[in-house]
Amino acid sequence: MNKEKQKPIIELRDAWKTYNPDKVPVHALRGANLKIYPAEFVTIIGRSGSGKSTLLHLVGCLDIPTDGHVFLSQHDISTLTENELAQIRGRKIGFVFQQFNIMQNLTALENVMLPMAFLNTPYLERQRRSKVLLSLVGLEDRITHKPAEMSGGEQQRVAIARSLANDPDVVLADEPTGNLDSVTGDKIMKVFKDLHEKEKKTIIIITHDEDVAAYGERTVSLKDGLVI
Amino acid sequence: MKKDFFKIAIRNLKSRSLRSWLTIFGFVIGVFMIIALLSLSEGMKQVVMNQMKMMGSDTVMITPGDSDNLMNTMIGNMKISEENIKTIEKTNGVEKVIAYNWKGETMRYNGDKKTIIFYGLPLDTESIFYLETKFGIKVAQGRFPEKNKRELLIGPVVVKEVFPGIKIGDEAYIAGTKFKVVGIARAVGNKQDDSMVALDLDLFRQITGERKDAPMVVAIIKDGYDQKIVSDRIKTNLEETGKRQRGSDSPSFSVINSEKAMETAGNVLGTIQGVVFAIAGFAILIGAIGIMNTMYTSVRERTKEIGIMKAVGAKTTDISKIFLIEAGVMGLIGGIGGMILGVGAAKLSALALNSYGSLAIEAYVSPGMIIYTIVFAIAVGMVSGYLPARKAARLSPVDALRYE
Repeated sequence: MNKEKQKPIIELRDAWKTYNPDKVPVHALRGANLKIYPAEFVTIIGRSGSGKSTLLHLVGCLDIPTDGHVFLSQHDISTLTENELAQIRGRKIGFVFQQFNIMQNLTALENVMLPMAFLNTPYLERQRRSKVLLSLVGLEDRITHKPAEMSGGEQQRVAIARSLANDPDVVLADEPTGNLDSVTGDKIMKVFKDLHEKEKKTIIIITHDEDVAAYGERTVSLKDGLVI
Repeated sequence: MKKDFFKIAIRNLKSRSLRSWLTIFGFVIGVFMIIALLSLSEGMKQVVMNQMKMMGSDTVMITPGDSDNLMNTMIGNMKISEENIKTIEKTNGVEKVIAYNWKGETMRYNGDKKTIIFYGLPLDTESIFYLETKFGIKVAQGRFPEKNKRELLIGPVVVKEVFPGIKIGDEAYIAGTKFKVVGIARAVGNKQDDSMVALDLDLFRQITGERKDAPMVVAIIKDGYDQKIVSDRIKTNLEETGKRQRGSDSPSFSVINSEKAMETAGNVLGTIQGVVFAIAGFAILIGAIGIMNTMYTSVRERTKEIGIMKAVGAKTTDISKIFLIEAGVMGLIGGIGGMILGVGAAKLSALALNSYGSLAIEAYVSPGMIIYTIVFAIAVGMVSGYLPARKAARLSPVDALRYE
C-alpha cells in the first residue's frame, strides 16, 4: 500500500495538551505526531497515564490541542467553533466507548437513530437505516430492547451500530472490550475487523491490551505523551 | 428531529417519575391559585357589571358623599334630606324620583324571630311601574302591597330559608306591628336582594322612626334628555340648594350614572384583581423555582448523557432544546392539572357562596383564559428551565463524558 501518496484523514502535528496550565501544569501530550490514512485499521497502545484518553479526545474532535495542530480531512480543528466541532463529530466520526455510553432511556433502535436526529435526517430514513445497522451487528431481534435488558456485548454492538449511523469516515473506539469478557471481547473485535474489511471504514482503537492491539494493521505506541 | 427530542425529554421525566410529579404538583398549586382566584374575581366582575347595566341609560343614582369615597357613603349613615329630594324632582329632565330606605329590624313569624333588611318603597302606581322596569322588582305570586296598608312583599329566599313555609295571607310582626304577606317577589338571582322584605315607605318611616330622607335616590330621566347633562344639572342644583341653606358647609353629593358607576366599580374590581394576581403570581413563582431546581438536578444527573449526545453530534442548541422541552412539558402538565383543579374549586366555591353566602357569583371561565393559562404555564416552565438548559448546553463534551 502506498499510503504516502494519500492524504491523511487525521493528522496530529506537534500536538500538545496541557491540563491545569496556570497552577501545576500536566502535559498529557508533549508534541505528538500521528498520521492516519483512510481505510486504515490502526490500534494505539499505551499504558494508563500515557495520554491515551487525551489523544482520543483530540482525534475525536471532542477537544482541541493546547498547542500544535490536529487536522481532520485537512481542516485544522482548532479553528472551528464548538457547534462546528459537534457537526464534524456527528458526520465524520463514530465513537465506541469502554462503558458503551448508550442512552439508558432509549431502545436499541432509538439509540442508533439519535446521531442522525442531530443531522436532521428524516425520521423514516433514520429508522430504516438503524434497522439495517442493527442487523449488521447481529441485533435485529433486539431493536426494541433498552440497555438494561441487554448484555454488555449486546450494548457494545448497539454502540457500534450507533457509531455507524451517519456513515462516518472514522470509527474511533476507546477500550471497546475493556468491560467485556474475553469471548465477547473477541466477537466485538471481529465486528470491527469486518467493518474494516467489508465496509472499508477507517478504524482507530485505543487500548492498553496487546491482544486487542494485535487486530490492527498498524499499531502505534504512546508513551509519556509522545507517539513512538 | 423534534420527535426524538420529545421522546428523550419525556423518557427522562418518566425515569424519575416521583420527583417529576412532585415538581409538577408544586406547579399545579400555582396554576390552581391563578385559575381559581381569577375566575372567581372575573365572575364577581361580571355580576357587578350586569347589575350596573340593569341601571340603564335613563336612570341616575344620587348618594350623599363623594363617589371617590364610596365607603363613606355606605357606612357613613349619610342621608339625602327631603328638601334635597324635592330639588332633584324639580330638576329639568327628571321624570320621577324614587326615594327609598332600608333598615335592619326584627321580624316575628309563628313565634320565630329573625333580623331582616326591610325596604321602604314608594308604592303609588307610577312608582311601582318604575320598580318593576328599572329596579327589577317583580311579583311572582300575589301583588305589591298597597300604599299605607300594613302589607308585605317578601323575597323568595325568605320563603325558602328565613321563614320556611311562610305564604301569602300569613301574618308577621315587624317591630311589634302586625303585617300581612300579600306578595312574593320573583327571584333576581342575588341572595341579598332575594332576602328582602318590602313595605310601604310611609309605614316604614312610622315603625322605624326614620325621617323623610333617604340614603339613596334614583332619578328617572325624561325621554329625550341626555343622562350626563341631567346628572350634571342635578348636581349643580343640589349644590346651590345646599349653599343657600348652610353656606360653604353644605354636604356633597354623588350623582352616579350607569357609565360612571361602571367606571368606579371597574376600578375597585381592578384593584381586587391586581391583588389576586399578585398572590397567584407568588404561588406560580414558587412552582417555577421548583421546576428550576428539578431541572438543575436533572442536568447534573445526566451530565454523562449530555456528553454522549455531544460526542455523537448534538449541538449546544440541540441539548438546550431537549431540556427546555422537558421543563415545558412539566409546565404543560402542571398547567392542565392546575386548570382542572382551579376551575373545579372555583365552581364549587361559587356554588357554596350562592347557597350559604349573600353573593351570587358565577365562576367565570372563558376558553381564552384556558388557552392563555396553558400557554403561560408552558412558557413559565420553559423560562424556569432556561438556566439549567443553558448549563447543560455549555458543558464541555470531554468533562461531561468523564462525569460518573
